[in-house]
Amino acid sequence: MTGAEIVLEALQREGVDRIFGYPGGANLPIYQQLPKYPKLQHVLVRHEQGAAHMADGYARASGRPGVVFATSGPGALNTITGLCTAYMDSVPVVAITGQQNTNLVGRDAFQESDVIGCSMPVTKHNYMVKRVEDIARVIHEAFHIATTGRPGPVLIDICKDVQQASCDPVWPDRIDLPGYRPAFSPDLSKLEEAAEALARADRPVILAGHGVILSGGEEELIAVAEKSVTPTGTTLLGVGAFPVRHPLSLHMTGFMGTGWNLKAVQNADLLMMVGMRVDDRVTAKLSDWAPKVETFIHIDIDASEMGKNVRPHLEVVADAKTALGAMLPHVGVPKSEQRRAWLTQIDQWREEHPLKYVRSNGHLQPQDVMIEMYRRCDNDAIVVADVGQNQIWAALWWNYTRPGLFINSGGAGTMGFAFPAAIGAKMARPEKAVWCVAGEGGFVMTAQELSVAVKHRLDVKVVLLNNFSLGMVRQFQDDFYGGVRSEVDLSEMPDFVKLADAYGLPGICVETVDEIKPAFDFAERTPGPVLIDFRIDPNANVYPIVPLGRGLNDFWELPDEYA
Amino acid sequence: MSTHNGSAPDRLRVLTAVVEDHPGVLTRVSGMIRRRGFNIQSLSVGPTDEAGRSRLTLTVDAGHAEVDQVQKQLERLIEVIDVEDLTEAPRLSRELALVKLAVTGPRRDRAVAEVDRFGGRVVDVGPETVIVEVSGEFDRVERFLEALRPYTVVELARSGPVAMRSGVPITHPTKEVSE
Repeated sequence: MTGAEIVLEALQREGVDRIFGYPGGANLPIYQQLPKYPKLQHVLVRHEQGAAHMADGYARASGRPGVVFATSGPGALNTITGLCTAYMDSVPVVAITGQQNTNLVGRDAFQESDVIGCSMPVTKHNYMVKRVEDIARVIHEAFHIATTGRPGPVLIDICKDVQQASCDPVWPDRIDLPGYRPAFSPDLSKLEEAAEALARADRPVILAGHGVILSGGEEELIAVAEKSVTPTGTTLLGVGAFPVRHPLSLHMTGFMGTGWNLKAVQNADLLMMVGMRVDDRVTAKLSDWAPKVETFIHIDIDASEMGKNVRPHLEVVADAKTALGAMLPHVGVPKSEQRRAWLTQIDQWREEHPLKYVRSNGHLQPQDVMIEMYRRCDNDAIVVADVGQNQIWAALWWNYTRPGLFINSGGAGTMGFAFPAAIGAKMARPEKAVWCVAGEGGFVMTAQELSVAVKHRLDVKVVLLNNFSLGMVRQFQDDFYGGVRSEVDLSEMPDFVKLADAYGLPGICVETVDEIKPAFDFAERTPGPVLIDFRIDPNANVYPIVPLGRGLNDFWELPDEYA
Repeated sequence: MSTHNGSAPDRLRVLTAVVEDHPGVLTRVSGMIRRRGFNIQSLSVGPTDEAGRSRLTLTVDAGHAEVDQVQKQLERLIEVIDVEDLTEAPRLSRELALVKLAVTGPRRDRAVAEVDRFGGRVVDVGPETVIVEVSGEFDRVERFLEALRPYTVVELARSGPVAMRSGVPITHPTKEVSE
């Protein structure tokens, strides 16, 4: 078999059914063989960044690794932002890039770039393959590394002459990576201790991150929270891990989290952090964070997260589902009077600090759009958000009464992520309705992928929250940078209805509240992709928000006179 | 290692790591150290008694990070098999220095006497220069160089320390096969 055939055969053996890619000089041998492997359905993207985000969305929606093909040089480099996005959010992606011939590497040959060097900081691991005999083993290892432990992207750079060389492949039946030991059995005694501490605490809080969703531990989380009667919130990436309408829900935490969540975190005496990194967007000013906590419990699959930002008293290195499941039998029932007082206090904060938004000022409010969209999601649809105000509105107005799937670029904060990721999600889960929420700024960064949605007649509905500006940046400038509006005006944008028409999908424009429902009706009854250009209030802001550099106690809310 | 113990841990960490002898492993290690805001003070690499394995000895400043992050971030690298933080452990450390001195006549005799006093050796003799070597702990090498300073050091090469835990036998990481 040629190297190219071994690549495709190996992917088939790994159970791959989709590849998001783009051909070019250095991966043409693979593309020459591709038609012989009809089980590998290839999606021709319009830009390699789109391929990486599609693979990412595919992986997040399905739990199966997403696969990317790109050629050498610019092709491979265009995937870097997408790989970084997957890396920051621990998403399994395998990227296979073509490279110049082995004897030309290092000579600045045409479309040669040091893809290994460039991708090293944004991948869990990467490989350069210079021998055809190594391809089968390397691909097997790459899938193993991408999908086990804390998942992440792996890149394989294969020289073109290696793709053309031949050998009898040896398909490895085992993995020999002596430095990689991803499987941990959680320390049971620590989990028992954590379970006891949870029941004993007066004011406990659980915060859940992406790790709960990645491990499929939503049920275990609900069970532990309910049994220990512990109020539970999520990070931005953890949205969907815990039902927002659950009586114990604290909704989203962090510097744009809900008021009652932040109050609970700042007054808790025990904080259990599950499957999360405790990054700066969660803590805001770290020295002011969770000041009354006496017991920090941290559960995460990555040992390096222990004490990286917050030093826990009890650390459990394990995946969230396993740890929570093992903990559950030991969780005791707390004394009812102490817990009742804590829950009553939180209910009071919930009433004092509800989510609010500006009503009836003559402009379309983004929250009105989100509320209607979520009504139609019926606790089931996949929602993919972009980055910026749209992301936070979509996260905060998430109203699922049961765990669900909310996808966004939380760690890297990559504008332009949502639409290609929504395409990947829809391909992974064709039975699910998929809504893409984006601002106009991020949307145009990857809008060329509209052709992919049209070509594959994908039911991806684009909810464009169009305020003709870089809304989040504008809000920061207004509030934290002296009110100087600098380079945030996006009034010169395409007519999105015409843009949709040019790409071959229906688009409609909505400017008033009354038009929201008919627009969603139209989107739902129209097969294939639809774009709705919601012209929202150009001054709509995200609230609550913690001023930059301050602690969670200092969160700002929408002043009552606007609500 | 925990910061709960009260006394501030040493920010300068001495670690030894067994790694797979692959192209690019040093780039991975040094890239990670830069990326995480650490700083390499010294690094030495050499083969182990097992084929395909190299041993690194690193002295790393943990920078603004928690000190245990240096070991933990090294352990995350796929090709790093085993890491030991020797900072607080009883350890044996040796560094080699080669020094070229421009000395002739009676100055040469006095220089050689100084070398003898430190247990060093003359390893190369030329008409204008001699090359001497010494090995020992960092401080001993420093004192040696200080003593030779009057003798016109024209070239100096230091290996950086290699280190090993003293007393207990070195445990070889067991090969683990998953899947």
